[in-house]
Amino acid sequence: MNSQKTLKMNKDIILGFLHFILIAAFQIFVLNGLNIFGYFNPMIYIWFILMLPTNTPKWLGLILSFLMGFTVDIFSGQVGFHAAALTFIGLIRPLFISIFFSGKDIQTNLRPSIAEMSLMTFLPYIVSLVFLHHFVYFTIEIFNFSEFFLTLLRIVCSTIITTLLILICDFFFIPKRKLSH
Amino acid sequence: MFVFKIYYGKTNTFFIYHKISYYFCTTKFVFMRNLIRFLKRYSYIFLFIFLEGLSIYIISQNSFYQGSAITSFANEIAGNVNTKIYNITRYFTLGSSNEALVKENARLRSMIESSYVKYQHKTFQYNDTIYKQQFEYIDAKVIQKTINKRNNYFILNKGRIHGVTNNMGVISPNGIVGVVVNVSSNFSLVMSVLHQDSRPNIKNQRTKISGTLIWEGGDYSSGKLVDIPSSIPLKIGDTIITSGFSQDFPEGIMVGKIKNFKKDKGTGFYVVDIKFSVDYNKLEYVYIVKNFFKEEQVELTKDIKNE
Repeated sequence: MNSQKTLKMNKDIILGFLHFILIAAFQIFVLNGLNIFGYFNPMIYIWFILMLPTNTPKWLGLILSFLMGFTVDIFSGQVGFHAAALTFIGLIRPLFISIFFSGKDIQTNLRPSIAEMSLMTFLPYIVSLVFLHHFVYFTIEIFNFSEFFLTLLRIVCSTIITTLLILICDFFFIPKRKLSH
Repeated sequence: MFVFKIYYGKTNTFFIYHKISYYFCTTKFVFMRNLIRFLKRYSYIFLFIFLEGLSIYIISQNSFYQGSAITSFANEIAGNVNTKIYNITRYFTLGSSNEALVKENARLRSMIESSYVKYQHKTFQYNDTIYKQQFEYIDAKVIQKTINKRNNYFILNKGRIHGVTNNMGVISPNGIVGVVVNVSSNFSLVMSVLHQDSRPNIKNQRTKISGTLIWEGGDYSSGKLVDIPSSIPLKIGDTIITSGFSQDFPEGIMVGKIKNFKKDKGTGFYVVDIKFSVDYNKLEYVYIVKNFFKEEQVELTKDIKNE
């Protein structure tokens, strides 16, 4: 039992490391060069924090989100914005997990994805966190409340695009496995 | 022996641990224990604050706009707080600063001259050799003025005791100003050219054709010329000067420049808009023109009038 747990932890660590590199690379080298309608920059790197196992310690979640944000920051040339926004998501993610997920989901330490849970549980979690992230990000980036509604429009459109992208990636890249437990 | 050692070690550690927790559980250290528990439980919040602060610090260091906005926000808060503190603390130094001010006042009061009456007045004379006419200029300062009414006046700080009389012309370094219409012993009232009844005689510097300057109200920077015959062509930008035909002004005082003009078909005269060379809003120092031969000239024309 104990060795199984350790194995799962090791697997989590390796998988997390792989996810980190792949998602960061995808964000930096593909999505940062892509501006939809000149306005919307999809930010898939949030997905890395969203799909961390539900029992990840809070401090680890915070540090990982800061590191992820900082990595994207360094390569996108505007240092600090992504880190600030994603660290905020790292703070409030446990709260949203406890709001949206059932107690059984939290206890089994699963990775939030369509494969593990129903879309109706997964979608509100993704949408709310992505919206909050974009809200913080664009607020910091624009730093001006004079054009509030234009900013809000950008936030909403970017949220829709990022959410769609996360759903697509989730659907194609996370393997559907048979649930044993 | 080996078994005992392990057993002993285990007991010992357990005992020590028990002792420490007991130590912290006593009522004396209840606060301490709660604090530690609190810090342990919410340590991730401090971590969050640290990381978020780090991000914002990086932003403020690297992005100019956000950095300056954060700095100015901080400055505004600091400035407000400093002002409030200063408003409170300055009452404590009020006594000593009052004393210093009273001393300063006494010193300055002994130095000023405006409390004394001035008996000597400077006058400036020059001889106009061409016309053999002598003008005297009295310098004066505008102490009150209007420019935005239909009929505008100036009040100057020179009066009868300085030699000012009615119907003297007033000019400024930039050009014509008006005519003295009323004199008291220390002050004089000047009807400016921005007045219904002001009709100084002027001429075009280039063509020497003379006319009359009037002002129809409104914009204080532009006036109108009438009585200029339309037979002689004008140009936009022509300089208008005083003609010297009236006794109030010497010849050649600047009036303004032609802005635009049109022919009045009914009368055969031009209607000309000019821009004054003097900004009457900024007018401060002027000269009162004293014509020594004025009475002689008036005497000459008196018979014509009486006819």
